[in-house]
Amino acid sequence: MAAKWIEMLTGSLEQKKQYREHVARLDALPAPYGEAAKAVQRYLTYAGAAEDGDTLVTMIGDHVDLWERAAVDGTPVRAIVGDNPVEFAEEFARAYAGKQWIDRERNRLTQAIDAAAAKQEGRQES
Amino acid sequence: MANQLTEMLKGTLEGIVLAFLTEDPAYGYEITTRLRDEGFEDIAEGTVYALLVRIEQRGLVDVAKVPSEKGPPRKVYSINEAGRTQLAEFWQTWNFLAGRIERLRPTA
Repeated sequence: MAAKWIEMLTGSLEQKKQYREHVARLDALPAPYGEAAKAVQRYLTYAGAAEDGDTLVTMIGDHVDLWERAAVDGTPVRAIVGDNPVEFAEEFARAYAGKQWIDRERNRLTQAIDAAAAKQEGRQES
Repeated sequence: MANQLTEMLKGTLEGIVLAFLTEDPAYGYEITTRLRDEGFEDIAEGTVYALLVRIEQRGLVDVAKVPSEKGPPRKVYSINEAGRTQLAEFWQTWNFLAGRIERLRPTA
């Protein structure tokens, strides 16, 4: 009961636990995968800007999966991120874009243009 | 040419990957290898991974976690009904685009 009450104030404890687990796995990656993964991770938290915690935690988890796999298989870092790591990170973040804050801005822009265009059409008809 | 190919592939890679998955379920590395075999050599494994994440988030594939000999379980992707619908649309769009562009080519 107390836990539920605290979650309402702080967000899900389960989510926090998962997040901490993902970060621990990130820290445990061998070189040079750890450095590369952390650099991408840092960018993801900016570019992704996921609004809800679940999406963010899922994204981070999938991202760690990718690097753990690469470390085990010995896939070169460059083969993972390609020639353009920024593009890679943005594309990765975009996969989770469904619930992102930017959606609200996209809607706002679309509606503003709709309203402006409707106003103009109304004027031309009269 | 490599650069133009990369740009053009961006729009079609999803269809290509879905087409692969209609034959057999596969995991990320197998898909990258298959792309290499088909001549798309410059594609980074991470690009394929990001794409797989995207089609999973959009509900076009089903995912099963299969234990591997070494390291974490592999995610195996198989196409589902929504994915098949998407792929059918892809082929339609592709036919349209390929036909239209071909008509622009001057006959020498």
